[in-house]
Amino acid sequence: MITTAWICLLSPLAAAVLITLAGTRISRRLAGYTATASVLVSFVAALITFFRLLDEPSEERSHVSTLWTWLSAGELEIGLSILVDPLSVFMMLVVSGVGFLIVGYSIGYMDGSDEERRYFAYMALFVFSMLLLVQSGDLVILLAGWGLVGLCSYFLIGYDQERPAAIAAAKKAFIMNAFGDATMALALFLLIQRLGTLEYGAVFDGIEGAGGDWALTLIALGLLGGAVAKSAQLPLHTWLPDAMEGPTPVSALIHAATMVTAGVYMLVRLSPIFEAAPEILDLAAGIGALTLLVASLVALVQTDIKRVIAYSTMSQIGYMFLGAGLTAYSSSMFHLMTHAFFKALLFLAAGIVIHALVAEQDMRRMGGLGRALPKTYAAMLIGALALAGIPPLSGFFSKDPLLAAALDAGAYGQLLWVVGIVGTFLTALYTFRMIFIVFGGEPSPFVREHLHRPGHTMPALWMAWTVGALAVLAAVGGWIQFSPFWHPISDFLDPVAEPGVHPSGLEDAVTSVLAVGLAVVGIGVAWWIYSARRAEVPRWAFGQQLLEHKFYFDELYDWAFYRPASWVANAAIDLVEGPLILGSIERLTEGTRLAATRLSEVQTGLLRTYALALGGGAALLTLVFLAVKL
Amino acid sequence: MMGPDVSWYLILSSFLFTVGALGVLLRRNPLIVLLSLEIMLNAANLALIGFARHLGDTAGQVFALAVMAVAASEVVVGLGLVVALNRNRVPLDVDRLSTLRG
Repeated sequence: MITTAWICLLSPLAAAVLITLAGTRISRRLAGYTATASVLVSFVAALITFFRLLDEPSEERSHVSTLWTWLSAGELEIGLSILVDPLSVFMMLVVSGVGFLIVGYSIGYMDGSDEERRYFAYMALFVFSMLLLVQSGDLVILLAGWGLVGLCSYFLIGYDQERPAAIAAAKKAFIMNAFGDATMALALFLLIQRLGTLEYGAVFDGIEGAGGDWALTLIALGLLGGAVAKSAQLPLHTWLPDAMEGPTPVSALIHAATMVTAGVYMLVRLSPIFEAAPEILDLAAGIGALTLLVASLVALVQTDIKRVIAYSTMSQIGYMFLGAGLTAYSSSMFHLMTHAFFKALLFLAAGIVIHALVAEQDMRRMGGLGRALPKTYAAMLIGALALAGIPPLSGFFSKDPLLAAALDAGAYGQLLWVVGIVGTFLTALYTFRMIFIVFGGEPSPFVREHLHRPGHTMPALWMAWTVGALAVLAAVGGWIQFSPFWHPISDFLDPVAEPGVHPSGLEDAVTSVLAVGLAVVGIGVAWWIYSARRAEVPRWAFGQQLLEHKFYFDELYDWAFYRPASWVANAAIDLVEGPLILGSIERLTEGTRLAATRLSEVQTGLLRTYALALGGGAALLTLVFLAVKL
Repeated sequence: MMGPDVSWYLILSSFLFTVGALGVLLRRNPLIVLLSLEIMLNAANLALIGFARHLGDTAGQVFALAVMAVAASEVVVGLGLVVALNRNRVPLDVDRLSTLRG
């Protein structure tokens, strides 16, 4: 079982190395197949690990495997170790399963791109990094995976190196994430100082004895900082919409299905630390609720099809934070899984639309695509309905228990529950606004002019079957668990992270009825405004402004960080660089040159002066020696 | 057997040295400069031999022989240079050989 877990981890790394070393000796298509096959190997290995784990009694399902001591500093020993337990196997399955479909889709999507090999090497490296993150048995390895996924995200957002916007977006994502990495590293330093170890088991044991320590709150806060940055939650969320500059499969894999959910995974994985600092856990839930509200409001006015889905990702991760913050861990992880299915589906289907319209992403120029691309329309519709939480699609089964848990979590939880319920209405509204604008009505002039129907070539087939597989998953993936009737996922995950809330059947029912009802109302309103066009889009100047500027977060950061920084830099140029550094160098060269000119006058070229200097010098020395001697 | 006192030799030697040094500093013809150099060397030789006799130590005489050998080779090089200058129609004037001025 440990062996299969290692195979699962190392197979994509091998593919990345292989593609890099092979260079142009393999064809572009072969690079794609290599990467896809390696992720498939990972998935199969994860499946085997999963079934072997199931065979064991549930309290013994935790295995640590250490390859070697990776770092040894004084008392601190850090091993290159992986942890195989229900939570990590669950994430391995999601990452490698969805990863396989998306990397396979890329074979079609990236076909004809000049640098496919580089793309697939990055993709394989990313899958490895993400598996390292979820399989880590030690907080340092977690941080290593954390940094590596950030690096791959940077590479892939900026994949299109010729577009300045892509480069800028990549840098933005990297810097925002580096901020989170830094707070996380600080938290790890504090942990080392307090407990002297970073191995999960030892840390969790140590935490139990250290209740009420103020440092614990700081540690949890630092870790939460990392989670917030990686998962694009307020206030470190501004990088995610910009990250849509990357290729669409990258958005699907990294910025929807896997990497951005790493924050949720960390909240669940490190739940003993967070539970020791309950105020931070409440903060996480609050951040999640706020993010889901803000993101779904902003999604209402976006015009770029990928940005709508990106804001929707932020808001769905907000739900997961809400759940994890209120200790509904397994519901949160379940939503993570279904979200991976339907969000990847939405992105990949949007990718087909973008492909068919020659890279056009502006929804205002789209319209009437439902008749031209019926299968894509059907896939998108499944994804949208799942996202809106309409039964019997997957989103319904995972989102509602999450909200029911909030209803069970006291007054604070009920406040967040209200936010979440409002969120379901907004989710349905913005999702179906997108559906009706893109697919509904008559084909727009732009569509009639530019539409390329995907043919039955090899690349197009890769795109089609992966989207089909994801559509099936998004449709039926939620049936695995229907609380309170059957709950295999909770049974599987609860030994790792015991939930603190147990919603009753009544709370489940109330939440489900309200959430589905509001989602249907949301769809209805979207239909009323954007399809039937019975009502104008409400124009409320201030609100419109606020939403179109995404609540002025970018402007705020520009004003609060960029401007002062560039002001200080300019001042430094004027006050330090100019007079001090450049000035001193100029003076120094000037002085040297002057001294050299003066000194060279001594060199007359006349033999007699030299002879006189020689003789005079010797005489002078003799006199000095004599004087000293006497 | 006893000649004059050693101080006489030293006086003569310093006189010769001064003459040679002035010749090197003041004359412009390289031939004369070389000649003056020889005079300086021989002044030193005279002092060496004078002291060797006064102290009864033959080391000074050995040094004088070594100086003569060096002087001979130096004159060969110096005269060679003078001949080369003349061949290239460079004026035989050390003050005008000042190309290496700073």
